[in-house]
Amino acid sequence: MVMKSSVEEEEGGWGLGIPEKMRNNANWVDVTKEFKGACKELKLGELLHDKLFGLFEAMSAIEMMDPKMDAGMIGNQVNRKVLNFEQAVKDEAIRVKDLSISELIGIMDTCFCCLITWLEGHSLAQTVFTCLYVHNPDLIQDPALKAFALGILKICDIAREKVNKAAVFEEEDFQAMTYGFKMANNVTDLRVTGMLKDVEDELQRKVKSTRSRQGEQRDPEVELDHQQCLALFSRVKFTRLLLSALISFTKKETSAVSEAQKLMTQAADLLPAIHSTVQYGIQSQNDTTKGDHPIMMGFEPLVNQRLLPPTFPRYAKIIKREEMVNYFSKLIERIKTVCEVISVTNLHSILDFFCEFSEQSPCVLSRSLLQTTFLIDNKKVFGTHLMQDMIKDALRYFVSPPVLSSKCSLNNNHQAKDYIDSFVTHCTRPFCSLIQIHGHNRARQRDKLGHILEEFATLQDEAEKVDAALHGLLMKLEPQRQHLACLGTWILYHNLRIMIQYLLSGFELELYSMHEYYYIYWYLSEFLYAWLMSTLSRADSSQMAEERILEEQLKVRSSKKSKKKKKARPLSKEITMSQAYQNMCAGMYKTMIALDMDRKVRKPQFELDSEQVRYEHRFAPFNSVVTPPPVHYIQFKEMSDLKKYNPPPRSADLYMAASKHFQQAKLILENVTSPDAEVNRILKVAKPNIVVMKLLAGGHKKETKALPEFDFSAHKYFPIVKII
Amino acid sequence: MLVEASAYSLARCKLENLLNKSMRIRMTDGRTLVGLFLCTDRDCNVILGSAQEFLKSTDSFSQGEPRVLGLAMIPGHHVVSIEVESDSLQMTTHGL
Repeated sequence: MVMKSSVEEEEGGWGLGIPEKMRNNANWVDVTKEFKGACKELKLGELLHDKLFGLFEAMSAIEMMDPKMDAGMIGNQVNRKVLNFEQAVKDEAIRVKDLSISELIGIMDTCFCCLITWLEGHSLAQTVFTCLYVHNPDLIQDPALKAFALGILKICDIAREKVNKAAVFEEEDFQAMTYGFKMANNVTDLRVTGMLKDVEDELQRKVKSTRSRQGEQRDPEVELDHQQCLALFSRVKFTRLLLSALISFTKKETSAVSEAQKLMTQAADLLPAIHSTVQYGIQSQNDTTKGDHPIMMGFEPLVNQRLLPPTFPRYAKIIKREEMVNYFSKLIERIKTVCEVISVTNLHSILDFFCEFSEQSPCVLSRSLLQTTFLIDNKKVFGTHLMQDMIKDALRYFVSPPVLSSKCSLNNNHQAKDYIDSFVTHCTRPFCSLIQIHGHNRARQRDKLGHILEEFATLQDEAEKVDAALHGLLMKLEPQRQHLACLGTWILYHNLRIMIQYLLSGFELELYSMHEYYYIYWYLSEFLYAWLMSTLSRADSSQMAEERILEEQLKVRSSKKSKKKKKARPLSKEITMSQAYQNMCAGMYKTMIALDMDRKVRKPQFELDSEQVRYEHRFAPFNSVVTPPPVHYIQFKEMSDLKKYNPPPRSADLYMAASKHFQQAKLILENVTSPDAEVNRILKVAKPNIVVMKLLAGGHKKETKALPEFDFSAHKYFPIVKII
Repeated sequence: MLVEASAYSLARCKLENLLNKSMRIRMTDGRTLVGLFLCTDRDCNVILGSAQEFLKSTDSFSQGEPRVLGLAMIPGHHVVSIEVESDSLQMTTHGL
């Protein structure tokens, strides 16, 4: 979509390396007439060029004087003179003191809108730095505007630093380039928050002094003054709180994160006041140039035009002031959610947290803050725990491997310790990568999940070897105990999770055609979820085996009989949800096969390819996985062949079977003790589908030519099937 | 027939001698591009390599820094004037 701004890549040898002699004071000789005359002799369509320069290179040239490609043109199209900050101050086109409150409010609101537009992926040059005041706050004399300009610069600087550090963005998410702009580095963060506080205090005094008193006649002018002061006060305070929250995130202690959460709540409290006073700010003045938007005082949209890279012109549409508060409110909510991650202790729960957070497609700033909060300075989790320790805890929680149990003799065995430590160390990078992957935007995430399966395949291999070695050791030390496939089960669990997420996100991103649904859902229900269920139950058994041994050891020590408490098994919720998902997928795949039998699925003509080619493309990333082994197309066809049943099922049978699956899913989910939003979402799909399948089994609308519709609005992975 | 052929080959020769030399082109909107002459055609559309854009200004080109464009094509009908460095012309045998 976007051409790289680096000049070398477009032209090969024709890029940089501007020869020294190309100075402006060289002796230039006019050859216009001769040149044009010579050109006329060329044949129609003939190109005159060097041997090494051809159409391929010519193709990437920017066409001048074409507004779609020539970013430098626009400066000549406008009627006004484009001045930078210093020029504007000299020309008195812009004021640095004696600004009215209206003007200040208008400038601040426009700046906020520019900030938001930048956070949404546009360049600094076309957003925040179209505000002339931030180019050189030292020249500003108005204390409120000066503090505000510095505040905005600091906010941009910290945000940019966080996003860069987290490295969970791509070019479509964020533009990190600063074009050499000064980001108030000569002033400390503390000084800026101090300056903002001073302005705040001054404004608060004014607000108090203009407040309506009981029994007094309200002077409309004083009332207006009061409202305007309040409006300005709210904005300055909001800026200080936002900046302070971001500063907190730069601190290494996790206590700073709770501090940030408090500050964000305070900032959110100011939003209603800001929203109701937007109209007090001055509006942009209309410019008569064609296609140009109205110019706000203190802003020049074209001031940085010449700094932009020589790609086709990109226009940053600054959001409207009316949407500003809404955006801030959502941003604050996201940041507050991010702050909650520090209370999650288990690695698996952290993974779930990241997954859930990602599902709402959050902005790049909040995603980045989550990443940098999790791995502070990329070393320790929340700045305190080693990743290795967290992995060991996760292993204990999931599969209770004897080697990590304090009651096992293996725990003190040097060799065993070496094995497990080395394995866990090898796990850290893939797991950190996995968490980082969940910080990317949804589309990029899918892609990267496909790639990380290779790393996990290597881990799987190692897990099997370590398991075998530990099992061997354990047999010698404690013949009754086993260490069979503990680590392998855990890695397999994560493998399956990744594969399932990869396939399901294809629905969310609308990548699959209708005729592909059947094999995607088949792979999920008959294969991946089947494996997941057996993996989870194996992990559960492993846990129970460990618990039994612990109980035995306790019984030997004390004669008391331990009370058997009916506690929910740790993996039970996950097993339940997996069962529900499996049934939903099974229902869907049988539905699709039945619809195909009834000729209700539109298939492509397959001129140059075949279903096999598409199938293999869809599951290509799985080829690097050893366990579970990938199901190749021929194998899939054999496994899903209906002719092996006698008599082979008709569409009505399949609709009924699908209906039963949806029914089963509904039953499972209705029995969940504390249903969350996800449970309700699935139920919203399962319930209507039960009915639709029964209708279809009864031959409802069998002869209609109209194809069924798939409505993913209730759940992004499972559609409600609609018969028209 | 012969005359035509020689006019054609003369034209080609003149132009080929300018290939890869520095060229300065003034455009209809007052901007000036300086770059290496790489390609042209009958309509005098010109491609310059390593092109730099100078804004309309006085002769001294003191108006700020040039904008680096890289590979740029100027449509023939937007070309006001074409200049080459005097050194480049010395290399031609026929001269323009």
